[in-house]
Amino acid sequence: MGWDKQYTSRFFGSKTVLFSIFAGLCFYSLATLWSVTEGISGPYNVVSSGIPKILFWKQLIWVMIGWIIAIAAYKFPLQLLEETAPILYMVMSLVLVAILLFAPEVAGARRWFFIGPVSVQPSEFAKIVLILMLARLFSRDGNMGNKVIPVAISFLISGLYVALILNEPDLGTSLVIVAIWVMMVFWYGLSGILLVCVSTPVLSAIFSFYSENVIHQPWPWAVFILLLIGFLYFARFGLLESSLLLFSNIITGIGASFFWDKLKLYQQERILTFFEPQRDMYGAGYQAYQSKVAIGSGGLFGTGFLNGTQKGLAFLPERETDFIFSVVGEELGFVGAMLLITMFFVLIISGLNIAKNARKPFSSMLAIGIVAFFAFHVVVNISITSGLAPVTGLPLPFMSYGGSHILVSSMMIGLLANVGSRTFEN
Amino acid sequence: MADKQIIKVRIVRFIIIISFLVVTVNLFRLQILQNEYYKNKSLDNRQISKRVKAPRGRIFDRDGVVLADNQFTSDITVGHKCLTIGGPDSTLTRLIDWFSLDEEKIYESLIRQQKSNRPYLTVIYNASMSELITVKEKAREIPLASVQSEARRRYVYGDMFAHIVGYVGEVRQNEIDLVPENPIYVSRDHIGRYGVEATFEEQLRGQPGQYLYEVDSSGRVVGHKSVEWYPVLPGQDVQLTMSVELQQSLSEVMAARQGCAVAIDVNSGDLLAAVSNPGFDPNMFVSGISSLDWERLMGNPGHPFMNRLIQGTYPPGSPYKIVTSLCALSSGSVTRDTSFKPCAGSYYYGDRSFGCWNRSGHGDVNHTTALVHSCDVFYYQAGLTISLDSLHDTAIILGLGQLTGIPLNSEVAGNIPSSKWYDSHFGENKWTRGVILNNAIGQGEILVTPLQMAIMTARVASSNAVLSPRLTTSDPLPENELLPFSSEDIKWVRTAMTKVVDIGTGTKAKLAEINVAGKTGTAQTPHGEDHAWFVCFAPAEDPEIALVVLLEHAGHGGAVCAPVAANWLTYYFDWKNDRMAAK
Repeated sequence: MGWDKQYTSRFFGSKTVLFSIFAGLCFYSLATLWSVTEGISGPYNVVSSGIPKILFWKQLIWVMIGWIIAIAAYKFPLQLLEETAPILYMVMSLVLVAILLFAPEVAGARRWFFIGPVSVQPSEFAKIVLILMLARLFSRDGNMGNKVIPVAISFLISGLYVALILNEPDLGTSLVIVAIWVMMVFWYGLSGILLVCVSTPVLSAIFSFYSENVIHQPWPWAVFILLLIGFLYFARFGLLESSLLLFSNIITGIGASFFWDKLKLYQQERILTFFEPQRDMYGAGYQAYQSKVAIGSGGLFGTGFLNGTQKGLAFLPERETDFIFSVVGEELGFVGAMLLITMFFVLIISGLNIAKNARKPFSSMLAIGIVAFFAFHVVVNISITSGLAPVTGLPLPFMSYGGSHILVSSMMIGLLANVGSRTFEN
Repeated sequence: MADKQIIKVRIVRFIIIISFLVVTVNLFRLQILQNEYYKNKSLDNRQISKRVKAPRGRIFDRDGVVLADNQFTSDITVGHKCLTIGGPDSTLTRLIDWFSLDEEKIYESLIRQQKSNRPYLTVIYNASMSELITVKEKAREIPLASVQSEARRRYVYGDMFAHIVGYVGEVRQNEIDLVPENPIYVSRDHIGRYGVEATFEEQLRGQPGQYLYEVDSSGRVVGHKSVEWYPVLPGQDVQLTMSVELQQSLSEVMAARQGCAVAIDVNSGDLLAAVSNPGFDPNMFVSGISSLDWERLMGNPGHPFMNRLIQGTYPPGSPYKIVTSLCALSSGSVTRDTSFKPCAGSYYYGDRSFGCWNRSGHGDVNHTTALVHSCDVFYYQAGLTISLDSLHDTAIILGLGQLTGIPLNSEVAGNIPSSKWYDSHFGENKWTRGVILNNAIGQGEILVTPLQMAIMTARVASSNAVLSPRLTTSDPLPENELLPFSSEDIKWVRTAMTKVVDIGTGTKAKLAEINVAGKTGTAQTPHGEDHAWFVCFAPAEDPEIALVVLLEHAGHGGAVCAPVAANWLTYYFDWKNDRMAAK
């Protein structure tokens, strides 16, 4: 490793870079939220934005609290976190159960507790708690010994959260947890066999779904199963393992339709609409379509700050939360969107660099969990807004309005800087 | 660090870079490559175009009195669902109750409307203000009712101008042109169907406007700024040469009698009044005529839709003797004082007897007395001195047997037979020279319209060979070209016509102070009693007005038509004097 590379490593992981990006994202978020809450300017001086200005001020307060939390997380002893992780996990499990039992229903979902004027979304905090818990689990015996048992335990630990959150229902957050789990299991180091065992049932479920609900013909799933049998034969798997694997594939394949029935009608509609966009122009497809129009109409430099009409005339739904990226795309264009994406990219690559160089397994696992969190949120959110993925409620870190989300994201940045500082600055 | 770890880092980094690359490339595709497409979609989103109907041009009489205009009216309508919902609390029951409507009639009408695929079913057509207020106030109790307002054509004088002004009707699907930008007609628009409304459609309809409004997602218009637009070009007004007062008086003197009367200014050709009986009320057509009304009109044996002025063809009878006289005089075969064999009530040509209307005979007549007393026997003999084709040519010169060119649709030409016509219809050498006898007294195969007769009268009165009817004040005034007859001959005709009224067959047309020149006619028709004609102009010395009265199956022109003419001419000259005095 040459000096240059070492310098680069140190750069992509330094607290200066992390906190600069944090500041940059906060600024970007507040500016965009200002625009979203501002009435449209230019010749349309009579149009109200439809989103109250108070949201901007609330976000400003959240960002300020976020900085305090980030700095606290930066200074917090990691050792203590590692030790208290199981307790945090238990508490969070109870909170997630409590929310299903006691939280008021808002728009058909139980996701929030209301404490005075503040609403708290526990599932946001569940993400960081789960990362801590999995990091502790995977760092106990280093790289030695049997890895199957910790992975199995991690499956149950994560599965509990997924099940609870799916019942709220909150598909987006459930998917984030699945992504975090997959990334951390991978980072933990799974043998090729295990990887096949883990990944093929998921593929089986997807193919089964596609066969049953999209083209209404059985052949895609049948072809998949045949390919799997061929693979198992040529990879010289033992008869017992092969049978077990094939069995689990068939189970998840059938289970997919069971899971599908569990989904809310609007969620089914969204996923089907993704596969067939012309399905419902004014229902589930409306958001995706208007978001694409907003981004596409931005062009290279955008319509200019405060001037987006898709935003200003309220064609863009959820423009202050999940679809805030479309506002950036419309008003600041390709250039503005790329600036934002570059900041996220540097943040994520820095996180990866920190995870790679972390001295303790717990720190490394913690960092890669945070990387998974940011990478999934950013890539999937932008994919949804630009029409690459079906519409699922998933905020864009720091950008979207929402207190719980801002606090968790800030905490993640602080923890990442915490790990980084112990790696590069001692 | 383990090699395994390095590979893991590379895999994760690879996945992250690929993901970001995919997202970036997709943004490039949307924002740079497809920018134009999405820009337009964004515009489509927030711009709605609103069509603004052009107000239809009005139709005025010569003095600026409105004959047809647009009135803002409101109908109380209900949705189609209403017909399937019954009960004391249903919208329809309440409406019937509140406004004490005839339940049976309403249901009948609604079912008929439903069959014709209307978006709304009209319960009360042209609702009164108090009815509208009730509907608005109690809107909650009648959720399926609504008020539809539109500017609707109104024919102020009802059936009085039906055959001239005509009417509008709803545009048919095949008339809607599919120019997407700014179509002239859209569904439920009105189009001129008959009369001036039809012939001046292009001028009257104007051009609809197209406004583009900026709206927000809930469709509210943003600000007051219309972004871009096609201007509305209101339809142009049309001013007719007719006079409401003269038309009204002509209608009155015609009363309900089946027939036609037309008055034109002999100098300008202005059509001043024209009545075709029976008529109909054009207001019935504006919002779609009910089938009941339609059947009633179609079943009327008087054919109310026929505009007798230009579509009714009749044998001209005795007034045609003017043509025969002018033809004979100009060919030189007959002079102004020629006498033939005296009239004994009939004339033998070959082995056939041709009767005079006066069965007891006129005795000795010369040319003048023959015209004054309408002696058929004289005209049989005069006819034999001229050729059929020269008689035909003279009739054509006077404007008979051809379209007058009045801007109304479906005018018919009538028929003035020439030898060629007989050849083609009867066969060569299958007809004899005897036909000239019938032709000479305006019988036989001759067919003319009342308007043609009015033109003939006016041309004789003014000596203008190119005088033709003028319907709108924007038409050019006729040029002046003298008739190709000697002025003495024409003067003689006029004098003879004056004597017709003075001492001849038309004495019932005599006025107290003004000399009228006229010619009576009693045209035989195979379909029943004779048609009665009276053509005249006045004052005889300095003609200004020509009038033709035709009463179908009414008998002698001198007996039935001449008094009608006298009545109207009296009114006309009073009207004129009042106007002169007012000036």
